[in-house]
Amino acid sequence: MSLLAIEGLHARYNAGEVLHGLDITVEEGEIVALLGANGAGKTTTLRAISGLLSHVSGKIDFAGETMLGKGPGAIVRAGIAHVPEGRRVFPGLTVRENILLGASNRPTLKRAAREQEMEAMLEHFPDLRRMQNALGWTLSGGQQQMLALARGLMATPKLLLLDEPSLGLAPLIVQQVFRIIAEIRKRGTTVLLVEQNAHMALSVADRGYVLETGRILVSGKPDALWNDPKVRAAYLGGVEA
Amino acid sequence: MLAILPQLIYTGLGIGAIYALCSLGFVLLIRAANVVNFAQGQFSMLGAYIMLVLLVGVGVPYWAAFLLAVILMAGFGVVFAGAVYWPLRHRSQLAVIISTIGASILLPNVVLATYGPSPATVPGLFANPGFMVGPIFVDTQYLSVMVITVAMVVLQYVIFEKTLLGKKLQATSQDKEMASMLGISVAAMVLITFAYSAILGALAGVLVAPILFVSVGMGGTLALKAFAANIIGGYGNIPGAILGGLIIGLAETLGAAYISTPYKDAFGFLILLLVLLVRPRGLFGELIAEKA
Repeated sequence: MSLLAIEGLHARYNAGEVLHGLDITVEEGEIVALLGANGAGKTTTLRAISGLLSHVSGKIDFAGETMLGKGPGAIVRAGIAHVPEGRRVFPGLTVRENILLGASNRPTLKRAAREQEMEAMLEHFPDLRRMQNALGWTLSGGQQQMLALARGLMATPKLLLLDEPSLGLAPLIVQQVFRIIAEIRKRGTTVLLVEQNAHMALSVADRGYVLETGRILVSGKPDALWNDPKVRAAYLGGVEA
Repeated sequence: MLAILPQLIYTGLGIGAIYALCSLGFVLLIRAANVVNFAQGQFSMLGAYIMLVLLVGVGVPYWAAFLLAVILMAGFGVVFAGAVYWPLRHRSQLAVIISTIGASILLPNVVLATYGPSPATVPGLFANPGFMVGPIFVDTQYLSVMVITVAMVVLQYVIFEKTLLGKKLQATSQDKEMASMLGISVAAMVLITFAYSAILGALAGVLVAPILFVSVGMGGTLALKAFAANIIGGYGNIPGAILGGLIIGLAETLGAAYISTPYKDAFGFLILLLVLLVRPRGLFGELIAEKA
């Protein structure tokens, strides 16, 4: 059984349908990349999984349970954490407070345990340890991305949805972010990764899907995608070649 | 003239503390729910009337009526949130503002229709009206107002800065969708905020009731001053709201004594105008500036 099984996913905003029947599976322990140009429907797919859209149909099963129709709170409690586009760090809260709130999906967690987990998280992110009492808005883009990742991991998710983690970051920071993503998987968390930076995404992913205007154009192993002429023409060509 | 100055300052701070309480409730809703609640003063008016009805109409003992009025208003805050804010929560801030303005018109008129237009009086918290400390007559009611205001400010600080609930409330105000994605119940946070804001408003109402008359129009006056206090202190700023309330209370009392009693209400707004001219973002700066 796949950890995440999506079949015939349709989603629409008021302006019209943007996902026209997607089939996506994510196996436990994988990193799966969702690639595509701007407006292909990558972010919408993640938002549909997280229960943030009101007009969604099809099948979204997670660990054998349907997520369709559930709210974002129920979905993160089921074990899907979403690190959204633009990081969305709480600007008026400190780094520590932002991280602590990541555990809000586990209301029974005792205060001491929560603090301990946060300390452990700061060990993994030395940059954040240095800035632990700084307010969110004072952080650089790279630090905010680290913070968003740490906050997402505090939910102890089985599946982490990452939306454009490299967007707007300097190349060195992008490499650091992707090293962390690889580490996250090593520690047992499955990752569904949305990226415009196809090169970086395919360097860490086990499989990928290429979306074009709300449909899956092609899917497969990174090498196959990389060499697929359709993919190069439709998406990679425009950005990378 | 100067001999009465300490007394005037005492009275001014007492009145100012009431504005501060009302303003605090106002700021809380701005911070936690991005709602500018123009009916905030009506929470005070309703609180005062509930106390009046319990005390005079039903014959409940004083302290019980006081507490019951505040508790009932917490419940009313939840109902208010459900009726005035919740249906419009995905709409623009302007739609919510207009909805609260509607409520601020409806509520006094409901009271007017059921209770009639004549103002009523409520006795003070303590039978002893006060005592002398040096040149100052320490009115127990003003003293109660100040003590309760300080207590509420401390409570609010502790809740917002020291508890996980406070962090969740702040997170919700800063980014509702992100808060919901972390598993924070946005609905619960919003309801708690409205209930607490109604408690602050009600406290201002039941505390001012023995000082001024309980009247249908009292909410509008209080809300205007609370709003002015909020602007003087810096929009959405908690310490600013308190300082702004105290400044208006002092300006009114001193202005009435030394310049002109009929223009009492004008002095607070004069200070508002001055602050807007000299320091348009308020004494402590706006919430927006704080968050960049």
